[in-house]
Amino acid sequence: MSKFLKFTASIVLLGAAWATNANAQDADAGEKVFHKCAACHAVGEGAKNKVGPELNEIFGRVAGSLEDFKYSKAMTKAGEEGLVWDHDSLTEYLAKPRDYVKGTKMAFTGLKKDDEIANVIAYLATFSESAEQAAAEPESAPAAAAVETASTAEPAVNAADAVIPEHGVHHLGREALPEEIAAWDIDVRPDGVGLPVGSGTVADGGVLYDENCAVCHGVFGEGEGRWPVLSGGFDTLTADRPVKTIGSYWPFASTIFDYVHRAMPFGNARSLSADQTYAITAYLLYLNDIVTEEDFELSNETFSEISLPNKENFYPDDRLEEPNFATNVEPCMENCGDGPAEIVMRARILDVTPDGDEENGAGGID
Amino acid sequence: MSKQPQKDKNFVPSRRSFLQGGLTAAGGAAVAAIGGGAALAAGTPDPAITELKDWNQYSGPGVDAAPYGVPSPFEAHVVRRDVPWLTADPISSINFTPLHELDGIITPNGLCFERHHSGVAEVDPAEHRLMINGLVDKPLVFTMQDLMRFPRENRVYFLECAANSGMEWRGAQLNGCQFTHGMLHNVMYTGVRLRTLLEEAGVKPAGKWILAEGADASGMGRSIPIEKALDDCLVAFKMNGEALRPEQGYPVRLCVPGWEGNMWVKWLRRIEVGDKPWQLREETSKYTDLMPDGRARRFTWAMDVKSVITNPSPQAPITHGRGHTIITGVAWSGHGKIKRVDVSIDGGRNWQHARIDGPSLSRSLHRFYYEFNWDGSPLYLQSRAIDEQGYVQPTKDALRAARGDNSIYHNNGIQTWYLKSNGEAENVEVS
Ligand code: HEC
Ligand code: HEC
Repeated sequence: MSKFLKFTASIVLLGAAWATNANAQDADAGEKVFHKCAACHAVGEGAKNKVGPELNEIFGRVAGSLEDFKYSKAMTKAGEEGLVWDHDSLTEYLAKPRDYVKGTKMAFTGLKKDDEIANVIAYLATFSESAEQAAAEPESAPAAAAVETASTAEPAVNAADAVIPEHGVHHLGREALPEEIAAWDIDVRPDGVGLPVGSGTVADGGVLYDENCAVCHGVFGEGEGRWPVLSGGFDTLTADRPVKTIGSYWPFASTIFDYVHRAMPFGNARSLSADQTYAITAYLLYLNDIVTEEDFELSNETFSEISLPNKENFYPDDRLEEPNFATNVEPCMENCGDGPAEIVMRARILDVTPDGDEENGAGGID
Repeated sequence: MSKQPQKDKNFVPSRRSFLQGGLTAAGGAAVAAIGGGAALAAGTPDPAITELKDWNQYSGPGVDAAPYGVPSPFEAHVVRRDVPWLTADPISSINFTPLHELDGIITPNGLCFERHHSGVAEVDPAEHRLMINGLVDKPLVFTMQDLMRFPRENRVYFLECAANSGMEWRGAQLNGCQFTHGMLHNVMYTGVRLRTLLEEAGVKPAGKWILAEGADASGMGRSIPIEKALDDCLVAFKMNGEALRPEQGYPVRLCVPGWEGNMWVKWLRRIEVGDKPWQLREETSKYTDLMPDGRARRFTWAMDVKSVITNPSPQAPITHGRGHTIITGVAWSGHGKIKRVDVSIDGGRNWQHARIDGPSLSRSLHRFYYEFNWDGSPLYLQSRAIDEQGYVQPTKDALRAARGDNSIYHNNGIQTWYLKSNGEAENVEVS
């Protein structure tokens, strides 16, 4: 055991990441990789179908064969033609889903690193009885030990040798390098500050959108199920049930670029290039009738031409002017109101948890 | 044998299980439901006293049994709960603090409600950095160890999601204060003033706003005016004495005292100083308040004065029948301390002062009590808080008159529970 510890501790000290070893199929590491899938898939006890099918007992499953899940034609066909999920087929599918099953509706570009693929498969194997045991076991123990020792294995520094920076009051931290700032500072403002150089057309954006976004947001941005609606809703802001979308509500086009670039597609954020983001933004503007030509090209140069229709309808917080914010009023303490209190409204939902009545639920948390 | 922990989830607001729990019987005589023991005929010796229990006789687990302690199995029903139909997916969703199970002012770490937009980021503190860039003399990068070398402070603050009670704009809907008011927690944070970090980098005179950004896959970002950033914002790494919980932003989060929870960016990795707000998705598409004329308020940051009775409430009925009774609840305001809480048992016709007990701190929960002799008749229970600025918690009707039904956020209206003569409570609105 002590030999083990020394071994893993030295790995930590050298900064060599255990997980880069292509042979190490580590179910624990795979659990983390699975975060990339979890937006669409559930696995484990009680797992249900989500955007994608549940993945229990995936080893030995004929592709596209769960009865209560609506697969693409392509996936069903692949199963009929004999595709069965095992270590090899999963490896190929997860590397390039759309190359391996042409026409699959799994809106996922694929895992780039071999060890991520190996680890996530090892993780899935722990929920598959028929999976070869070999896949999961041997390497996980040392990896866990590495985690435990990491916090105690700090290299000692001679206190007098520490370099004290000159900046600031407490002389703590260090200067951020331009490359580091560039890596993180991706925000974009309405005045165009922060837009990267690049471009993309409505037509390109349509293709990207169908591949990466339509599963959740719908082919026309209408939103599948309860996933967010991205288009339409014009003239509904004073209606009983307003539909707030990019076209009907959002004040600035820069927000579309910024948000898609930083947070979408859900479960695989920061995977779109600047050009792809321009193209998808152009397409979202098109879906909202803000641009009308399919060959319209959005770029850092044409961006300032775009203005969203609801822009002028936002104003600063003025709550303090409401009558109920008066501060010098002593509230009524006795015989307030007309006659005794009577019920005018009751909770419409009595059993909200665990099996609430979905149909009656109204409002949202946004 | 000792009694098993309750298996049924009797404490969720299910009318069926509630009635099956025996409240219809014996008009409010003692009921076995809440740690009370079964009703006994007068003169019968209580087996809780006369019988030898396992725990009287046999030794329990040793000090090595639970290196990190957990609550008693008899408290297994005290958990955060969610409402699945609210959102498309639990990865971008919310759960609620069980306010009706708590007392005092501090929310235990494991019960603080969760809201995240791309799941709980699992961040390795050794690989976490906080960057300050933009309009500063010197852009800086801090490790967690660097952060912990700055002067620290300890502060208790409430965090309330701006959408707390947001489902109730159109009328009473959810039966339980966990669901109507549970996007709320109150925690003692340990951290470094954001001001101290900004001074380390040196804010340029043109710097009027900051952008706070998270390291999670939603890249959560909010613009905050520099005055607030230099006032009381805290960059916190401990909650209630221990490291932040992953779902609360481990290893480091921003606290923006008194302002809406969405701004308290978790997994904080970057502060940018700029001359204008960024208008990101969470301050345009979301967290803007739609008014009846179709226009919308933006930058509605402060959380207004508010209170709620936590017991009795739909998930916490009165099971002891008439007699001496305690009404309790919490009050808070983003504008400072709570000056006073009034309680009404007749739907707002007459009010009495409640008693505030425990620390009274600015922008923190306050605990109030109102003790009275319940005669067993039906009541309409309400609480109304007044803060140190003199703002009075409004009625829901007053809010609707000013804002309509569609503003989602900032519903701080007075809550009514209808207490029935069987001790059951229901979420209602009264004239
Ligand atoms: C954006 C949503 C999404 C993401 C992210 C995603 N999937 Fe899928 N997945 C799907 C959908 C939808 C299908 C069904 C495909 C079809 O019918 O063409 C699917 C199908 C599958 C199948 C075939 C299941 C069967 O029953 O035949 C496997 C295996 C799979 N996914 C694994 C993964 C893994 C592992 C990851 C993460 C590395 C992942 N997926 C990420 C949506 C997703
Ligand atoms: C797996 C489902 C899924 C996929 C795929 C997906 N999204 Fe989303 N999208 C979401 C969810 C969930 C949210 C809300 C996230 C939150 O709660 O913060 C969202 C929010 C958005 C919003 C903001 C909506 C609003 O009203 O504020 C935009 C814009 C958006 N997505 C664009 C895209 C684009 C473009 C793509 C493709 C590149 C994409 N999404 C792919 C699930 C998805």
